[in-house]
Parts: sequence; C-alpha cells; structure tokens
Amino acid sequence: MTDAEANRADRPSPQDDPELRTAQEERLKAVWKEPTGWRYFSAVNNDIVGKWYTLGAFFFFAFAGVLALLMRTQLMFPDNDFLSMELYNQAFTMHGTMMMFLFAVPVFEAVSIMLLPELLGNRDLPFPRLSAFGFWCFIIGGVFVTGSIFFGAAPTGGWFMYPPLSSEPQQMGIGADIWLLGLSFIEIASIAAAVELIVGVLKSRPPGMRLNLMPLYCWYVLVVAGMILFAFPPLIAGDLLLEMERAFDWPFFDPERGGDPILWQHLFWIFGHPEVYIVFLPSIAIVATIVPTFARVPMVGHSWVVLSAVGTAFISFGLWVHHMFTTGLPNISLAFFSAASEAVAIPTGVQIFAFIATLLVGRVTYSVPMLYATGALAIFVAGGLTGVMVAMVPFDFQAHDSYFVVAHLHYTLIGGVLFPLLGGIIYWYPFMTDKLLSDRLGKWAFWLMFGGFNIAFLPMHLTGALGMPRRVWTYAEGLGWDELNMISTLGAYFIGAGFAVFAWDVLRPKGKQPYAPRNVWNAGTMEFSQLVPAEHWGARCVPVITTRYPLWQQEGFLKDLDEGRFYLNDAEEGKRETMVTSVLDADPMQVLRVPGPSYKPMGAAVFVGLLFILGTFGLYAAAVICGAVGGVVILWWLWTGTSPIPEKEMKHAGRGVHLPLYRAGSDSVGWWAMFITMIGDLTAFFGLVFAFFFFWTIHPDFPPPGADIPEFWLACLGIVLAGLAWLTVWRGQARHHSGSVRAARFGLPAASLLAAGAVAAFIESARRGGLVPTSHAFDATCWIIVLWLGLHFAAGVVMLLYCLAGSFTGKMTPRYDADFANVLLYWHFMLVTACITFALLGLFPLLTGDGP
Amino acid sequence: MQSGEGTSLRIVHHPRGRRLIVLMPLWLAGCDGPQSWLAPAGRGADTVAGLFWVVVPAAAVIWTVVIGLAVYAGAITPRPHSEKGASRLILWGGIVAPTATIFALMVVSLFLLRDVTGNSADLTLNARGEQWWWRLAYEDPQGRLVPVPNELRLPVGHEAEILLTANRVIHSFWAPTLGGKIDMIPGRENRMTLTPTTPGVYRGQCAEFCGEAHAQMAFPVVVMQPDAFDDWLAGQAQPARAPATEAARRGAELFLSEGCGACHTVRGTPASGEVGPDLTHVGSRLTIGAGVLETSREALIDWIAAPEVVKPGARMPGYAMLSEAELGYLADYLMGLE
Amino acid sequence: MTKIDERARDAELSHTPPGEEPPKRLLEEGSVWIMIAAPCIWALHFLLSYWAAAVWCAKLADRYDPILPVRAGVAVLTLVALAVVAWLARYAVRRYQGRLLIQEDLTEHSEAERTRFLGHATLLLCALSAAAIIFDSMPILVFDSCY
Repeated sequence: MTDAEANRADRPSPQDDPELRTAQEERLKAVWKEPTGWRYFSAVNNDIVGKWYTLGAFFFFAFAGVLALLMRTQLMFPDNDFLSMELYNQAFTMHGTMMMFLFAVPVFEAVSIMLLPELLGNRDLPFPRLSAFGFWCFIIGGVFVTGSIFFGAAPTGGWFMYPPLSSEPQQMGIGADIWLLGLSFIEIASIAAAVELIVGVLKSRPPGMRLNLMPLYCWYVLVVAGMILFAFPPLIAGDLLLEMERAFDWPFFDPERGGDPILWQHLFWIFGHPEVYIVFLPSIAIVATIVPTFARVPMVGHSWVVLSAVGTAFISFGLWVHHMFTTGLPNISLAFFSAASEAVAIPTGVQIFAFIATLLVGRVTYSVPMLYATGALAIFVAGGLTGVMVAMVPFDFQAHDSYFVVAHLHYTLIGGVLFPLLGGIIYWYPFMTDKLLSDRLGKWAFWLMFGGFNIAFLPMHLTGALGMPRRVWTYAEGLGWDELNMISTLGAYFIGAGFAVFAWDVLRPKGKQPYAPRNVWNAGTMEFSQLVPAEHWGARCVPVITTRYPLWQQEGFLKDLDEGRFYLNDAEEGKRETMVTSVLDADPMQVLRVPGPSYKPMGAAVFVGLLFILGTFGLYAAAVICGAVGGVVILWWLWTGTSPIPEKEMKHAGRGVHLPLYRAGSDSVGWWAMFITMIGDLTAFFGLVFAFFFFWTIHPDFPPPGADIPEFWLACLGIVLAGLAWLTVWRGQARHHSGSVRAARFGLPAASLLAAGAVAAFIESARRGGLVPTSHAFDATCWIIVLWLGLHFAAGVVMLLYCLAGSFTGKMTPRYDADFANVLLYWHFMLVTACITFALLGLFPLLTGDGP
Repeated sequence: MQSGEGTSLRIVHHPRGRRLIVLMPLWLAGCDGPQSWLAPAGRGADTVAGLFWVVVPAAAVIWTVVIGLAVYAGAITPRPHSEKGASRLILWGGIVAPTATIFALMVVSLFLLRDVTGNSADLTLNARGEQWWWRLAYEDPQGRLVPVPNELRLPVGHEAEILLTANRVIHSFWAPTLGGKIDMIPGRENRMTLTPTTPGVYRGQCAEFCGEAHAQMAFPVVVMQPDAFDDWLAGQAQPARAPATEAARRGAELFLSEGCGACHTVRGTPASGEVGPDLTHVGSRLTIGAGVLETSREALIDWIAAPEVVKPGARMPGYAMLSEAELGYLADYLMGLE
Repeated sequence: MTKIDERARDAELSHTPPGEEPPKRLLEEGSVWIMIAAPCIWALHFLLSYWAAAVWCAKLADRYDPILPVRAGVAVLTLVALAVVAWLARYAVRRYQGRLLIQEDLTEHSEAERTRFLGHATLLLCALSAAAIIFDSMPILVFDSCY
C-alpha cells in the first residue's frame, strides 16, 4: 500500500520534538478532561455518555430478564398461582416492551456512540450534546415506564398494544398511557441518536477513509440508523392516533365510528418488523468485527456483507404483514408478504457464509469472544430456519401466537442480538475500561447461558406445536404441556445464572488487576489504537486512513498516531475540535468545534420528559408549561452551543492543510442533521397520510356519504399563505446570504405572519366545514393532519424568530448564516407537508365527489 | 351426550393422519394432544403437519451442515484454506443453495395457502368473540340461528364455514387439530373453513391476547358422525327442558329471582339476557366457563359461587351469598338443561 | 475510462480542495445514491403490487372474483421493474466498472477504486433486488382471486 500521505510522516517535522508533543498532549487532556464531582453528570463526551447509556440499557435488560424468570416460575406448573393474572399480564407486557424499546435499540445506540469516534479515529461525534440529550431522555422515559410496575400500573396490553383492548379506557387503565407517552418520548430519543450516528458515519470519518475503506461496523451503523429513521416514525404516528383516541375520544380505531383496529396493526408492524432487523444487524456488525480480528485476515467478501446489510434493511420493510397473517386479509396480499419474508433470508445467508469463509481463509485464534460468536451463530441459524417456516402462510396459521413463535423469536433475538452483544462486551471491555474480563468466568457464563437457552427454548417449539398459545398466565394440566414447561423453566434459571456470572465479571472491582496490553486482541480496526489507560480525547490526532484495517496494513501507523503526526494534534485555542470530511472520499472539509460539558441537555430532557409524564396523568396545562420550558432550554442550548462564530476563518489542521472553522448550508453537519431529522419527520407524517388512505380503502365511500368536509376555499387560502411563507423564507435566505441583512429582518417576521395565517386558514377550513373529531374517523383524520401541520408551523415560526434574534444580536450574519440555511431546509419540508395537507383536505373530497 | 365419544377432554385417542404414521418415529408420540397441530384431525391441520414433517427435518440437516462448517472453520481446521475455495463456498452455500431452496418452499407454500381455505361449505356457523367466551351460533337447515356457546361441534367429512367477528376486542379462533387460526376483529367479518377428518374430542383456545382472562378462553371441539351431528343440532334448537326434580324446580325459581336471566337466556323461560352465554342446553355441554371446568354439579357450584376464583377476570359476578343448598339447586337446574 | 484513470492518479496526490466538489447528478459516477436505486425499485414494485391487490380486493372484487387486471398489471410492473434493474446493472458495469466478483479486493486508496466499490455493491444489490422482485411476483401466478 503506497501512499503519499503516509510517507509524508517520515519527513522531518515539528512533531519530532518530544517536548512539543508533551505540551500538545497536556493541552488536549485539559480540553477533553472529564468533569469531576457532581459536574460529572454534565459530561457530554461520547466515551462517558456511551458508558452510561450501555449500563442503562443492561440495567433494563436485567430487569426485563427478572420479569421473564418470574413468568417462567409461574408457568413451571399447570394451574400455578405464583403470580396473579394481573401481575403476569403486566410482566409479559413489560418484558417485551423493555427488551425491545429499553434494551435492544438503545444498546445499539449506546455501543455505537461509545465506539464510533474511536473506530473512526476521530475525537467525538458531531453533536455530543445531542447524544447526552438522547441518553437522558432514555433514562427518564425508561425509569418512568419501568417504575409503573411497582405501582401495579404497568400496561397489560402486550408490547404490541393492540386496540381496541388498549384504546378503550374501560379496558385498560393508565398503563396504556404510560406505554404510549413514555415510549414515544424514548422513540424520539432513539431518532435523535440515529441522526447523530448517520451524520457521524457520513461526515466524521478520518481523512482518506473512502467508502470502500469504511469498516463494516460503520456500514451497519449507517444502515441501522437509516432504518430507525424510517421505522420509528410510523409508530410515533400510531402512538399519536392511539393516545388521541384514549385521551380525547378521536375514533381512529373504533369500528362503530368509521375507525378500524387493523390500522394500528399496520402502523405498529411497519415499525415492528424492521425493528427486528434494527436490533439484529448491529449485533451482526459486532460479529463482522470480531471474526476478522480472530481469523487474522480481512473479511472475505467485504462488499457482500455490505450488500447484505443494505439489502436486509430494504427488504425488512416489506415484511410487516407477516405479523398479521391471521387477520383475514386477502390471501393474495398475504402472499406478497410471504414472498418478501422468504426473500429476506437470502442476504442473511450471505452474511453467515461470508463469516464462515473468513474463518476458513484465516488462521483462527480461538478466544472467548469467538466462543460467543459461534454460539450466536448456532442459535441464530436455528431461529432463521424456523423463520423460513413461519413465513409460509399456512404454517403460520398454526404457529402464529403459539409457543412455536416464542421459541422462534427468542432464537433469533438471543442468537442474533444477545450473544453477539455479550461477545462484543468481552471484546471491547479492554477498550472501555483498560482491563480484561476473566476468560474462565466468560466461559462459565457462556456455557450456562448457551445450555440454559437451549434447554429453555428448544422444547418450546414442541410446546407450541402441542397448541400452547402465547401470553397465557396459566394453563390446564393434561394438555401435554406440563413437562415441557417445567424443562423450559429450569433452562431459564440457567440463563439467569449465566447472566449473573457475566454481570459479576463485568462489574466486579478490578483495581488490582493489571491493565490490558494495548490492542490486546491484535485487531486491525482503529478503536484498539487507543492508549492504555485511555485518554478522553478520542484519538491523539486524527489519522489518515488508506486501508480497511489500518493497524494491520498501515506501516508505522501507531507510531505516527502517538507522535501526533496526523491532523488536529493540538488544542491551541483550548477548544474541543473534531474533523469533518466529505461523504464519499472523506476529504477534510472543516474543523468542527464541538461543545463541552453542559447541564442543558439534561435539563431539556427533564422538561420535555415532564411534558410526556404529566400528559400521561391528564395534567395538560402543567404538561404544556413544562414542554414550553423544555423548548426554551433547547433554544438556550442551541443558542450557546451551536455554530458559534469563530475567531478566525481558517485553521491549520496539520500537515499543511488549512480548513475553515465555520460552514453553512449543505456543507455543514447541522444541515445534514436537519435534513435527516426531517426525513424522519416526513415519514411520521406519511403515517398519518397512510391512515387517511387506509380508511379510504376499507370504506366503500371515504369521506362517508353526507359527511362534513373541510371548506375548500379556506383550504386554498391556507395553501397559498403557506406557499408565500415558504417563498419568503426561501428568497429571504438567498438575499440575506448575498449580503442583505434587511432581507432577514423583514422576511423572517413576514414569513412568521404568513405561516400563522396559513395555519389559521386550515383550522378554519376544518372548523367551518363542520368537522367534529369525535364523530367519525374521517373528521378525526382531517383534524390530526391539521394539528400536525399547526404544530410544525409553530415550530417553524420559533425557528424563524430564533434567526431573527440571531440577526439582531449578531449571532447570524450573511457570512455566518448556517442557522438560516438550516431553517430554510426545514421550510422546504413544511412546503411538502402543506401541499399534502391541502391535497387531502381540499382536493381529495373533490375527487370523490364530495366537494363544493 | 349423543355422540358418545370422548368421555374426558383430557384423554383423547384418535388415529393419526396416514402421512404422519409413515414419517413419525416412535419418540415423537409426544406430539399427541387435544390441542396439538401435529396430531391433525382436519384437512387444514393435516396440510400443515405434513409440511412440518418435511421442513423440520430439512432444517435440522441444514443447521447441522452450516454449524458444522462454522465449527470446522473456526475450531478444527489447522491450516488456512484458499480464498478461491472460500469464495466458492459463499457463492454456492451462501447464495445459490439458499435462494433455490427458499424459492421452492415459497412457491409450494403459496399453493398450499391457495388451497387451505375451501369454498364448498355445507354448514355455516357464526362465531363472535366475547370477553372471555365464544358466542357461537349454527345456521340450522331451516335457516334459523341456533346458539351453542363455547362448544364447537362439526360433522366429520363436511366442510364448515365459520364467520368470525368480535365484540369490543380482538380474539383469535383456533382449533389446532382441525386447522389454523383466524382473528376475530370488532367491525370486521372474517371467514375460515374447517373440514374435520377424524371423529374425536379436542380442544381449541383463543390465540390473540384479549385482556385479563385470555389464558382461560378455550372451548371443546367435538367431531361427530354426520347423523349424530344432525340429531345434536336439532336438539340444541329446542327450547329448554322443564325442570324434572324438585331441586331443579327450586333452582329454576332461584335462577329467575336472583336475576340470572338479566344476562343469560334460557329459551322457553323468561330468562332472555344477552350479555352472557345462552344456557338453554348448558347441561349437555362438555365444559363451563369457556373450556375451564368439565361440566358437573360440583363444577357449577364452584363457578356460580366464585367465577373470579376459577377464572380471574371473568365478568360474571359471584353468588357466594347464596347458601350451599341454594347453589346446589341452581346446579341441579342447570345440569338438567340438556 | 481515461477520466477515471486521471482521477485515480490525482487522488494519490491531493485531496479535492474543500467545498469545491462539482455538484453531481443523481446516478453520475461518484454518487452514493446509485447503491440504493435498485432496492428502491424493489420497494416500489412491492408496494405497488400490494397496494393494487389490496385496493382491488377491498373495493372492486368479491371473494372469488377473478382478478385478472391486478395480475396483468403486476406482471407488466414486474417486467418494467426488472428492465430498470437490468439497466441499472448495466450502468453500474459501464460507468462504475462494477464486476460480479466474490472476493473483491477493492481496497486501493483512490477515487477510482471507491467508484469501482460502489459499482460492485450496486451490481450486487441489482442482483438481490431482481431476485426479490421475482419472488414478489410469484403470487400473481398462483392466485386468480383475492382469497
């Protein structure tokens, strides 16, 4: 591998001077210092937040695991009364909910936040405070949802929360509200983390790490975060509809008023199936990292693994109805989904064989992480094979909602998520804590869990085949299930014991244990270039990457790294800085100043959390006030933390490269974050649009005959005003950018007024049309779309006023106008939202003959 | 009981499908059970059981090969293999073989799906899921609806069409020995067909979580000879028998005076409530409480006194304030409603 | 071809000056979008097929009515989708030098190699998408009515 960049490091350079290097290191240490005392909790640095996040996720995992043991104890005997029916129903609901929402997804984000900057040889992710915000949201929402079980108030509707069971307040009490609002809050945090990770992979790779050189782990992070972006919003839309029905009786799922319970199932599973792959792919990413390390060769079929990740991500969005095979949909519809469900096995098979091929080609050093990876494969392949079975519709008619499916899903999730993850924890433990875990305890934990798992879940296939349905708190004796359940329960205890051993090994004090050697596994990827003990700076300097496995393939890499011979080897100005590069070829583009420790993300999370928590208890006034305070804290955080005007235009980033300190528009990371966030936001809006067309499909006439429809001319006025608002922002931004400060100072308030007018016109259109949201699903759907538009325009106006304030205070100038460019982007999306709103409210009734 | 088969719900003997006998080794005799889809007694279940015994052994073989390869590659082989061989492994093992296998399976399963629901039913039955019992009603030859809650009886060899819906929440109607399940959804009417092939007594159960007492929402499934079935249905269409003993007569009075008739119907008496199951022929049914207790005088007493204990969540209020004697009269009356 | 070779040489020597990358067309060399184009076609094909059948069965056909228009429509759609995927594959081969290899070794540090990598990945995704499209067209061969 000849490379001009790498050779340059051999020339005489100031970095030859050890004193200079020591001074640089001191400055870097000072800048990236971990806050001490109580201020520790204001940390935003990825290694600290990532650690909290991972521990939090495993806490919820252990909690949900205890619930599982309680359930297994109840099912040990027929007609057992260890748990009451009520408690059992809460336990299985919370087990699924916590494992999915509070463990599997967050732990991916946690590990990725912790790992990504170091894996990329960069200092931190572009939005450290966003990571911290995501973590605090997660922990507040998680404790809220989990805590409900101690008050006997936990939801009882299953992790899928099907209405009408969940939508009628008489059927289900506050538990459903806790589930809906608490989890919506966490889902928003998940999306925030996804935005962070996507921008992180695309824009903060080290110079030279072109797409073809990007580590597989990063590909998976990119793919999975992208999936979160498209999968979570439909669920948020569904949550919104369901909570509106519960709180305000808007009949989206009430068949007597034009609603339909099946709508929820579509929205839930459009999220729910990709979700399975969202939690599975990151763990495969871990295997894809571990396997080459211990095979001592690069991954065979690297791009085939990339193909599998991307292909799986796409196809996983075409499987959702296979959770609904028994809902009585037309067989031909089921057939399409059955076909896609079978097709998704193809890319998965490719991945597995790529791993096997890599092991064949390499000279394998067997180790505990490899043991976990192999165990994972053994379990997961079995789960995949039963997956192919349940994808066949007639088979699923029997297996669906039986213990066969319980066995199948645990084989896929424990094999496809948990074991690789535990292997990953062992593998990266020295990276996280500078110490090694015990091999002996690791093997004990493995065999206890692996054996226990198969004892518990292999018989469940048969239990299901003997007809035992899921989610039953008790069963009668003599149905052939007794011994099988007893065996499963015993196996479950072994899993618990194994995990306890594992947890002990991770948590036991290791003060006297010597540090692990640097790059203890002899890995090829950059996170193991970290010094032992590790510094908080991420990387001593931001390296130049010319290979897929720099620690193996780039000569003198560690030496150059340690001596600061690459980019950003100093912190002269005492600021935290990371490198921003281009998407395709990772050309250096900017030195990004990232903010340091702050309580603002925590404060914002607390108040936004209160918005949801108080909303759960119907304290809407207090909730709105807290939400507003949360909004103010976020604005304060943005105002003080984002796009500060730098003291100079360009900065020497090292090696003769000068880079700008400030970028605006599509060159800035903020623009990318806005773009990605709004893609997710638009997807949620499409969830509502889907509801509209779903109702149109199932009803012979929609709007129903004789229904009140929105006033056409007012809707026209609404779209015209919205269009003008957008035009004003667009032109205002362009003129402001070319130097006209007045364009901003007049354009921003004008656009705000136009936007307010547009919202008023749409609201009046629905109101004068006589639409009553509690009367029929049509009215409710129209109102929810107007509500969505109104809230988004309101947020848009806040952004406009933020820019206006920036213009008056000098935070935003024609030269430094990143905020304005980002807000313009937001308004592009608002234009799309408004056009769709108009099409549904104004034009659609015309098409169906209900117009004026 | 007219048909005479199946004295107990728990112990069931019936011949297995022919295909099964060929393929099933002895140790799999454990596949038997009143709710087992591997002991089929109907056409739909037979299809799936047949499929099961093809795909499960095949999956076991595939698993062994793949994991064997992984263990060989990771732990056994002493020397590195060539990249060319590894590539070939990915191509054939990871791409060609799975794609071909899966494609074939998918096409077969589509044909099976097309044929699994029939359209030549000669018996129609309405089924409505309640919390937590089954409001079943047969259309008799005269076109009248005959309510028979919580018990599915079907004539052997005849295709029956079941129209499914639900009150308030979603349930799923599942008689595994006869065929797959279909959900019962408020506001929708779903349809399934069942074609029993083997007489016997089996069990069905709700498969979709429907709230508190979901676990105890079951029903006996009785497959009868067609003649016996016709007699049975004609009997069920009749109004209730008059109480035959003094105790039963007292029970009938109590039934009305305690307000049981506000929720339950006993055809031919003033009791005409629609909330709970029709009790006109409750004494002839195999179970009470929707598959929870085998019908007997003692079971009825337990149930009436405290349904909440037998079946937590049950909507029926308990009558523990009645004396033991009074509960006995009521039970005598209900046992007499054959 | 020559253009790419030139770039490969340049790439070794210097990075593109910041912010001066020329705007790229959607599928032009050096676009990451080409990678997801084929799966997007699969997604469109899938959604349209499902949607057509769902709407037809909900609004126009009774249980056992023949659904010839849906089958014909999906058949045409399948052919169109496969044709577009084939065109994309050809594009990936011609403009991105994509090759269908198992053990790719596209690890050179150059823009040309990155382009080849994208071409290679695109080609693989075209193959997968084509397979998935064929899978998803099977129902119309089997079903002549909604149920």
